[in-house]
Amino acid sequence: MKELFLNDFKLAIPELFLISISIFLLVYGVVYSTSNLKGYPILSNNISRLALITLCFSIILVMNHPIKEAVFFSLILDDFSSFLKVLILICSFTSILISLDYLKEEKLNSFEPIILILISTVSMLLMVSSYDFISMYLGIELQSLCFYVLAACKRDSEFSTEAGIKYFLLGAFSSGLLLFGCSLIYGFTGLIHFEELAKVFSGIEHTNAIKLGILFLAVGFLFKLTAVPFHMWAPDVYEGAPNSITAFFLITPKIAILGLFVRLFLYSFYDFLFSWQVILLISSIASMILACFAAMAQKKIKRLLVYSAIGHVGYMLLAFSCGNLEGIQALFIYLVIYFIMTINMFASILSLRHVKYIADLHQLVRTNPLLSITMGVNLFSIAGIPPLAGFCSKFYLFFAAISSSLYLGALIGVLTSVVSCFYYIRLIKIIYFESPKTWIHYSTIDKEKSLILAITSFFILFFFCYPSPLFIFTHKIALTFII
Amino acid sequence: MNNMEFSLLGLILLFPCFTAVLLLFTPYNMVKIIGLSASCFNFLLSLILWIRFDNSTAHFQFLESFSWLPSANIEFGIGIDGITIYFVILTTFLIPACLLVGWTSIQHSIREYYIAFLVLESLMLAVFVTLDLLLFYVFFESVLIPMFFIIGIWGSRERKIRAAFQFFLYTLLGSVLMLLAILLIYFQAGTTDYQILLTTNFSEKRQLLLWLAFFSSFAVKVPMIPVHIWLPEAHVEAPTAGSVILAGILLKLGTYGFLRFSIPMFPHATLFFTPLIYTMSVIAIIYASLTTLRQVDLKKIIAYSSVAHMNYVTLGIFSLNLQGIEGSILLMLSHGLVSSALFLCVGCLYERTHTRLLKYYGGCVQTMPIFSILFLFFTLGNISLPGTSSFVGEFLILSGVFQTNPFVGCLAASGMIFGTAYSMWLYNRLAFCNSKYHLFTAYSDLNRREILLFLPFVFGVLWMGLFPEVFLEGMHVSVSHLIQHGNF
Repeated sequence: MKELFLNDFKLAIPELFLISISIFLLVYGVVYSTSNLKGYPILSNNISRLALITLCFSIILVMNHPIKEAVFFSLILDDFSSFLKVLILICSFTSILISLDYLKEEKLNSFEPIILILISTVSMLLMVSSYDFISMYLGIELQSLCFYVLAACKRDSEFSTEAGIKYFLLGAFSSGLLLFGCSLIYGFTGLIHFEELAKVFSGIEHTNAIKLGILFLAVGFLFKLTAVPFHMWAPDVYEGAPNSITAFFLITPKIAILGLFVRLFLYSFYDFLFSWQVILLISSIASMILACFAAMAQKKIKRLLVYSAIGHVGYMLLAFSCGNLEGIQALFIYLVIYFIMTINMFASILSLRHVKYIADLHQLVRTNPLLSITMGVNLFSIAGIPPLAGFCSKFYLFFAAISSSLYLGALIGVLTSVVSCFYYIRLIKIIYFESPKTWIHYSTIDKEKSLILAITSFFILFFFCYPSPLFIFTHKIALTFII
Repeated sequence: MNNMEFSLLGLILLFPCFTAVLLLFTPYNMVKIIGLSASCFNFLLSLILWIRFDNSTAHFQFLESFSWLPSANIEFGIGIDGITIYFVILTTFLIPACLLVGWTSIQHSIREYYIAFLVLESLMLAVFVTLDLLLFYVFFESVLIPMFFIIGIWGSRERKIRAAFQFFLYTLLGSVLMLLAILLIYFQAGTTDYQILLTTNFSEKRQLLLWLAFFSSFAVKVPMIPVHIWLPEAHVEAPTAGSVILAGILLKLGTYGFLRFSIPMFPHATLFFTPLIYTMSVIAIIYASLTTLRQVDLKKIIAYSSVAHMNYVTLGIFSLNLQGIEGSILLMLSHGLVSSALFLCVGCLYERTHTRLLKYYGGCVQTMPIFSILFLFFTLGNISLPGTSSFVGEFLILSGVFQTNPFVGCLAASGMIFGTAYSMWLYNRLAFCNSKYHLFTAYSDLNRREILLFLPFVFGVLWMGLFPEVFLEGMHVSVSHLIQHGNF
């Protein structure tokens, strides 16, 4: 009898490990930080470092998983999900790593955000392996709930609280839309499992009802991805949250939701390709255009970065809407390079004290010359200038778009990348060439951030010399949808 | 190819890059010496390349290839043929001059200056020798980054940021359309290898579209009217060495692109658009020359005269016969020498007086005679006086253009008269007339470093002007092969 369930725990080892450790850390934190005997210690740094070790172990567990391919209950385990799990875990790891010093400086003494980051990581791992609507919705909801609290975790700032409320309202709304889409599809097909949906759609006629369900699903996902025209919540929420949390927000959920999006739409709804391709194409073109013009008007650094992230989402949706192997490959290359550039950007921003406005960055070259050159290289890469890493991701993306005849999307993508170049170079101008207007602070960068900055800058500068490994690797990942 | 033989071309390409990395670690007082000797050594290597070059074949020589993205069939192939060799020599010749110009005039961030120029040298060499379309585009664009920093950090104060912005965004906008065209070519042909693409047949309508996309990128770089506005701004705001390299090499990237990519790969579209190019070039020659007459800033005068000369070059290239193309290549080389030398002269003046406005200058021959002789020599080179290299170039271009379209040839020949007008007037106002000595308190003639800087330029201009066959004999076979390829 017990042989029936022998392998069940082995299948979900990373998630089980992570959730049990996060519960353990929560209990540990609560017990010791409220203990009179120990003098009410502040455990945020302690628990952060323990969380880092936990994430390292999780990465090792995912990479050395005993079972390579399985479909169990409503979850699936394959190359695609393993790759995304490792990427999410690395993103969480680096986000916590660069925030260590920031938490100490800003006196964010509570340890609960770290636990919430761990739990949301678990939910994202479950999201990328989800294989039917219920596990998908549960994963999204768990992640969103953790994120609502994370956005509001700076308790003495009105900004942060407002960000939390806005995120909660709009997140709940978008989850509702998502659920409505799921219910429409269930109503008209009677199925919730992705594989069964994929098999059934090739037989039945393509009624408009199912297209309506797909539309609601797509809208729900686009809300979560902060794509235009569902992006309105993003600048306020991401700006109000504390900087380190914004770094986590900008990268990890996009990876998880894009993974889910790709699996659902490319595998289950592949027969409706021409319907959802149009939706995604419109959204991507609108994102690219809006992001490049809206970011020009910004005066605060974080809002500028958020709008540039919206632009990046536009490019990723362009890659996704190709719907073929090169498109998915381009999507993942773009995602990896986007992660590296964003982590670099946030590590630079977190190294500086009291920067809120763009003008605060003036004459950075005088106080932190090495940081200025790092930021300069990173900004050129985000703008997509050859020969840096950002260009490699964009060129493959446009190649995928042209090979799928999405000429308008490619043309607009290329033109908006030139326009967006303007404000990136304006940032470089302010860093390098602006005359100082106020006192200039100088603060040393701690070891963890400098390590992250060095690794990511090295990657950005020299990825061009040897891009093959990433391209071949993502090709292999994308093949899981073709085979 | 024997595995033991080291690759000369790869060494020339990578040596400045290695030196740039080395300069990050050298002690402060050795930076200049190491940078200058490395660039001179690179020049010697390129001379060795020229000596070992074989004139009798149109095949690409010194071929190397590094596989960049084997899964996508893109390899970084490099090779030299008769057209490329001269640009390689010009690049490696101009960089030591740039480094030498900044010997005393650059006061801050000296190490970064040398690193920027050496990285720029590697990138420019990579543009000329690469035989892969996508990597040509990558290096074509990547020269923008060091130039942006050079203009921004070491430029003169007034409008340098605006100039750097304009330079960057203008060239980028044109080039991204070229990126889309390259991706379309890659999608059709499955490869971006230049030698394979030469044999690919593009349909006529597609050729027109691709040619236009390539044109949008090269036209900004040339620069053609009406997208030439970035050039005077960039030249005026750049430091002397920046202007030298901008005029000497970066303008040639556009016309090199026309010659290497637009004409052989899209022959039908080239014939279709030749009247467009003729019109734009002739308008540019006449308009730029007339604009020059109105300028008051020394560097702007030479910048606009650069516009006029480069449009002569495009006129010669699109005449599509042997004389025209050879003349255009020779004019490119000569313009690289003469314009750069003129910018060096202006740089010498600027270093002494820190103004570039013409009204403060006059009677230089009384206080700076050696400078005046050199300035006169290069002004005569600008005018294309027989005996200087520009004359050979322009004469061949005009003879080539006359064969295809005599009316255009007549109009272009009038450009020579305008050229004489502004150059002679500039020299007159600068060197002769009464000295405005009440405005300046100290004078000094050229010092030894500056004279030694000019001498190679004088030598080059005279050599090309009096014995051009030495340069032309390397081009004959390659250019004939190019013309035959397109069945013009």
